[in-house]
Amino acid sequence: MFKTRHVMFIKAFFLQSLWNFERLQNAGFLFVLKPFFKRIYKDAQERKKAFLRHSGFFNTHPYMANIIIAMVSNVEHKRAAGQEISDVNALKSSLAGPLAAIGDSFFWGTVRPSVSFVCVFLVILFDKVLNHNLLGYSVFIPLFFLFAYNIIHVPLRYWFLFVGFKLDRESLAMISKLEFKFLWEALRYGGLLVIIAALFFYFKEFGFSPSSSILFGIAVPDAVVFAIVFVLSILLGRLSATLMFYLVILACMITSYLGI
Amino acid sequence: MIIENVFILAVIAALCGMDVTAFGQFMICRPIFCAPLFGYICGDVSTGLWIGMIAEMLWINAVPLGVSVPIDITSVSILSTFWACKFFSDTQPPAIWGLALAVPFAYLYKEIDILGRNFNIKLMRWVENGINSGKEYRIDLGVFISLFLFFARIWIFYVLAFVVGGWLFQGIYLQFPVFVISGFKKAWYWLPLLGFGAVLYNFRNIKLPFVRK
Repeated sequence: MFKTRHVMFIKAFFLQSLWNFERLQNAGFLFVLKPFFKRIYKDAQERKKAFLRHSGFFNTHPYMANIIIAMVSNVEHKRAAGQEISDVNALKSSLAGPLAAIGDSFFWGTVRPSVSFVCVFLVILFDKVLNHNLLGYSVFIPLFFLFAYNIIHVPLRYWFLFVGFKLDRESLAMISKLEFKFLWEALRYGGLLVIIAALFFYFKEFGFSPSSSILFGIAVPDAVVFAIVFVLSILLGRLSATLMFYLVILACMITSYLGI
Repeated sequence: MIIENVFILAVIAALCGMDVTAFGQFMICRPIFCAPLFGYICGDVSTGLWIGMIAEMLWINAVPLGVSVPIDITSVSILSTFWACKFFSDTQPPAIWGLALAVPFAYLYKEIDILGRNFNIKLMRWVENGINSGKEYRIDLGVFISLFLFFARIWIFYVLAFVVGGWLFQGIYLQFPVFVISGFKKAWYWLPLLGFGAVLYNFRNIKLPFVRK
């Protein structure tokens, strides 16, 4: 069984390979469960019924899916052993939404932006320290990004699959009530501090440097600079990032044309 | 290590692109990784890193959630880094022009991706019919066919984008008047500011009353 779970762990990386607009991750879900079903359902007809039971709509965060895969496997194992199981699909659908919300806000909304921004900070810091010559050392920054993100992501994904076999619906409900918000808030505030530090370095390097006052033709107080970034962040809440990207380029062209 | 063969470069780009949804989600698709990677391959890692930094910050929230298909920032960063490093030695203004030109290509790829995901419905039904008729091997086969098609469509997209886009990139850039080039040079330093704004928007969850609708 231990080997089967490892095969499932590897296959879980393909969860979204056959992602489709009708039933989203359903085929990937079957792909992950297949070795487990082959092990517990020796009869081909029973296995076919199990596959068809799980061929319906399924969608959750790809990392958090491992918990559901493990819990469903657990339930199917009991069914194969002859226990009466009410509805395994109700379990799937009741877990998918909350786990997707946790995964989206934790992995996509907090961990990835935090690690990315630490790397952005490193780019600016290295640029300053190495006097605009990023060659050589800069190779380590993207490697650090990959390492720092995956050192969190891969072990968690592995753990989700194995802990999921021990969880039932009640224990998961209990976990979802724990205050993860504090941890996420702490990461967010940490991120804000890194932004301020990165901005500081950025402006000391490019905004007020005696050799190249690129951003402004005249000396501008730090507060104004931070205010500009704050205003841009407000605008980005209302306009799309792509539109703002083109507007900034257009503004740069207009100021160049006017000689400002 | 400088690779000039667009077919090989398209293989590397396709592998990065598959990380978005098809396999793994190890984040090799993020600009902060794939832009310096292409910078390294094309001989200018610093430009790749700067482009990656701009794209990563600006599109920090561009992640496929549920059924949403956002702009493909992997192609924005890969294409702009490739064009800027391959065709010009002074890379700052060309890099910004590359970013500006790569965005429409990224939207084009988004549409191709949507078509691919729609085609996957047929493939999924083929798998389901297989299960119904006792051919459960179709589950594995369906996943691998989908992966292959995914790879093939990104690979073709990148080969065409590298060649046709490169031709457009170079041809149009050489026609720009001086003020446009100097505008691009300014944008090289101003776009990270916009990126800081995007990151700040992502991290702060305080919404001011006058910003609310």
